[in-house]
Amino acid sequence: MATKAQIQEEKVFQNSVAMTVTLIAFGMMFATLFLGYFLVRANTAVWPPVEIQNMPKLLPFLSTLVMGLSSLTYLKMEKSESQRSLYWILTFALGIVFLVLQWILWGALKEKGILVSNGNVPSMVIAFTWIHAAHILLGLIALSWLGKYVLKKKEELTVIKLMNVGKFWHFLGVIWLLIYLMMFVL
Amino acid sequence: MSISFSERLLGLISNAYEISAKSVSFWESFQPPEDISSNGHLIEWLFYYTTYVNLFWFALVVIGLFGFSFLYSQKRHKKPVYTHGNEKKHLFITAFIAVGVFLSVDLVITKVSSRDMKESFWNFDDSGDTVKVQVLAQQWAWNFRYAGTDGEFNTADDVVTLNNLRVPMGKKIFLQMTSKDVIHAFYLPNARIKADAIPGRFSKLWFDANKAGEYEIACAEMCGTHHYLMKAQLTVMTQEDFASWVNESQSMAIATNDTEDVNLRWGWKWGSK
Amino acid sequence: MAFLEQHIHDEPKTFISKYVISYDHKVIGKQFLWYGIFWLLVGGLMAMLIRWTLAYPGVPFPLIGSLLFPHTGGVVPPDTYAMLFTMHGTIMIFFAITPILIGAFGNFCIPLMIGARDMIFPTLNMLSFWFSMASGALLLISLCLPLGAAAGGWTSYPTLSTTLGSPGAGQTLWLLSLFLFGASSTMGAVNYITTVITLRAPGMDYFKMPLTIWGIWLTSILNAIFVPVLGAGLILLTFDRVFGTTFFLAGAAATSGKGDPVLFQHVFWIFGHPEVYILILPAWGIVSDLLSFFSRKPAFGYKMTALSLTAITILSTVVYGHHMYTTQMSPLLTQSFMTLTMLISMPSAVFFANWLGTLWKGSIRFTSPMLFSLGVVFVFGLGGLTGLYLASTSIDLYLHDTYFVVGHFHYTMAASVLLGGFAGTYFWFPKMFGRMMDEKLAKIHFWTTMIPLNGIFTGMMMMGWAGMHRRLYNPFIYEFTQNLMPLNKFVTYCAIAMGFAQFTFLYNFFKTIFGKNIPQASSNPWDVGTLEWTIPSPAPHYNFKEIPHVKCGPHELGNPNLTDGKDFQYQTEELVKA
Repeated sequence: MATKAQIQEEKVFQNSVAMTVTLIAFGMMFATLFLGYFLVRANTAVWPPVEIQNMPKLLPFLSTLVMGLSSLTYLKMEKSESQRSLYWILTFALGIVFLVLQWILWGALKEKGILVSNGNVPSMVIAFTWIHAAHILLGLIALSWLGKYVLKKKEELTVIKLMNVGKFWHFLGVIWLLIYLMMFVL
Repeated sequence: MSISFSERLLGLISNAYEISAKSVSFWESFQPPEDISSNGHLIEWLFYYTTYVNLFWFALVVIGLFGFSFLYSQKRHKKPVYTHGNEKKHLFITAFIAVGVFLSVDLVITKVSSRDMKESFWNFDDSGDTVKVQVLAQQWAWNFRYAGTDGEFNTADDVVTLNNLRVPMGKKIFLQMTSKDVIHAFYLPNARIKADAIPGRFSKLWFDANKAGEYEIACAEMCGTHHYLMKAQLTVMTQEDFASWVNESQSMAIATNDTEDVNLRWGWKWGSK
Repeated sequence: MAFLEQHIHDEPKTFISKYVISYDHKVIGKQFLWYGIFWLLVGGLMAMLIRWTLAYPGVPFPLIGSLLFPHTGGVVPPDTYAMLFTMHGTIMIFFAITPILIGAFGNFCIPLMIGARDMIFPTLNMLSFWFSMASGALLLISLCLPLGAAAGGWTSYPTLSTTLGSPGAGQTLWLLSLFLFGASSTMGAVNYITTVITLRAPGMDYFKMPLTIWGIWLTSILNAIFVPVLGAGLILLTFDRVFGTTFFLAGAAATSGKGDPVLFQHVFWIFGHPEVYILILPAWGIVSDLLSFFSRKPAFGYKMTALSLTAITILSTVVYGHHMYTTQMSPLLTQSFMTLTMLISMPSAVFFANWLGTLWKGSIRFTSPMLFSLGVVFVFGLGGLTGLYLASTSIDLYLHDTYFVVGHFHYTMAASVLLGGFAGTYFWFPKMFGRMMDEKLAKIHFWTTMIPLNGIFTGMMMMGWAGMHRRLYNPFIYEFTQNLMPLNKFVTYCAIAMGFAQFTFLYNFFKTIFGKNIPQASSNPWDVGTLEWTIPSPAPHYNFKEIPHVKCGPHELGNPNLTDGKDFQYQTEELVKA
């Protein structure tokens, strides 16, 4: 019979297999969107086009900061056992702040007359941020599921749970960074 | 463009039943339509080559399948031979078959196909005495535009026809096409060619016709409910007839030209992207 | 590798927890089987309507025509015809074949054949089934809409599938339904891949797994990677329809911004070409196993077969462009796609040689699963070889979008997969339901399916070579198709015959499950050594009391050194050597 440590190791392995496959699946979806972006960009004569020049610069930068911070607080949560609840709350709050910032960004775009149906580049920026925000919502659901164990059923909290939700959350951070770089910076 | 579809529908269907199938032999009835182009035979040659090689390989499969089923059925062959098929000689036979398939099928088809495309079907050199036609597909009709004597498209002397592509015999015909709404495909079975007409893009095609007469052009890409009615006629004329037709239509076009109507000027500069 | 402990939970007692919201992989497998058979019937009826229209345009559909289309007196109207072939394709691929081959056999066979008690994530498994139920429900709803369901072909190319070419909610529902289906497939794939990697019984190396598992596992990998690609395309197309974006709109109709309709084709076929291998790989795996089991000798070149399946899986991801020759990609790209596509014939030749090698000097028992497997070898031979015409850029100029294509992909995707599915159903039925299906009826079913099937699809290819193109409501408005009227009628008669033949199967299936006085199946009716046959039939709750220890390969049959009277070895037995 396998020892407890071995079983634990096995479980970590199988869960990381599953999470890796899941992230590959999500990654392929975003990769397809990015493929579309590169084709559009290749066919656009001047880059950045007028629409992107008109876009607010500060808001997406703030979002990027918030996303990065939330990844850091998540790492802290995994490490420090004593202040785990605090860091969980911080991470969750930062996730919400990110969504609020996105909401403000969409509002700002609307005010400048940049709508989703206004041609390729605006469509892309807004559609990608929508799709990403929908995934952040999924991430928040995962975080609140994790919160149940961080805040209440502490004895049932396992490394696997922390690790898997973390992988997904960091993945979304990386995707946001890519979107930010592709749309607003480069 | 106002075409009454119910009218066309009725006309075409009644036509279809009038042309009751001519009596053809069983074998002839499965043959592709008559080849009027000088390149169509290339496709036929490769098709028949592939067929013969395929028949050879498939015959091997069938012999194996039925032969082994007969020879080694439980009744005839009680004791199976115990082998995992991973000895050197087994691997060798398998590899031999794979390489045989590669050499006989892949290599030949790839080579011949590439050569035919490069030398014939993709050879879009439209200099010299050629006919250039712009094609605009729409739900569910084909518009054809000829440049007229000035050789420039989108000018007053352009000849525009609906669902009737007239071409002279023996000259190379170059088509550039696009679509107004959804994706269509220009399909000319008598020349064995086809290309998609895609909104926002230009695709090109060329062919020549060596036999006067009337042939059919079809839309091969699903383009909506009346996809099956999207039929045009290819009229192959002698070069003299074609020249006089162009002259006549051109003067008519100039006489009836309405400079106000932007919809008439759907053409583009030849060769633009 | 240390082996993971798998707990045994109590057996569920209530009807709901046992048969509806079940976490048991065997029940979920059966649910997928029922679900697939239901859609197979719907899709089959649509095929009949399509075939009838092609042979007798303007003539009312016999018997039920006036019920289905009262306002035309039983004649299929042209817009309904477009809807029918769109739905026939969608249903058969995503709602019939996928649930049966991947959902049913994947769920049922993976844990049983690798020696596990259940899938690794039972909840995910349950969700996967209910997601596909939801997607099926959406599709059914779309069939009842006033403007009808999607009618732009199963590939739904824009701009026809944008609001420009198909107004009405049918197309949007189609997109949502496929998106849900994709989510379900991806969940299933994650589950299958992880289960095969982590839950194999001790001693079950990758090269001791039955080839069925190889097929399903490779399929799942393709699923996990490429279904999300379709997902992205579907999302963007939905945005085009709902929010007025212009990702795929171009030309005169695109008023704001200019997208590219061809982009969707790229995205669709990046998914779509692996998809055809997603459908066929499980069938190949099943056939490779069954040929060995019923020839009573080990699978010829087992490792080579597994590796050639893997090679095809990898190649399948880089050949998608051969679906798009007529969009006129750059010549370099076109030629690369042709060359890569041609390469697939080599691994295919390898496993064909191995299949025949398995039969060679065997002692073949012509049971119904074996007949169907031999049928697959025959029809896939035809289907695979006819692919060579379409891979060639020059022949494709003529044959693209003709009935030749229809015949070819039906041979590979419909005929082979269907026959493989039937082989699997007859083979695992005793383990699923604990009873034996009637062999005599099964054999009648085989011959009455096989003969008309070849009539249909060979007929289609002949029509294609004669120039008849696809998706025509009335092909005979063209002069060059006039000669094909008799052939079209012949194909339709064959289709009707094949359609009726399936009632033999349905009768056999239902009679055996629900009938009285049906003999119980023994635990190993086929004398086969893979793990699922070491346990009683039907497979008990939580499969294995003791997790088995695997000691030999899956196809140890006909070993002359065996002395205990049986001609096969269970995988749990040490290989007998001379």
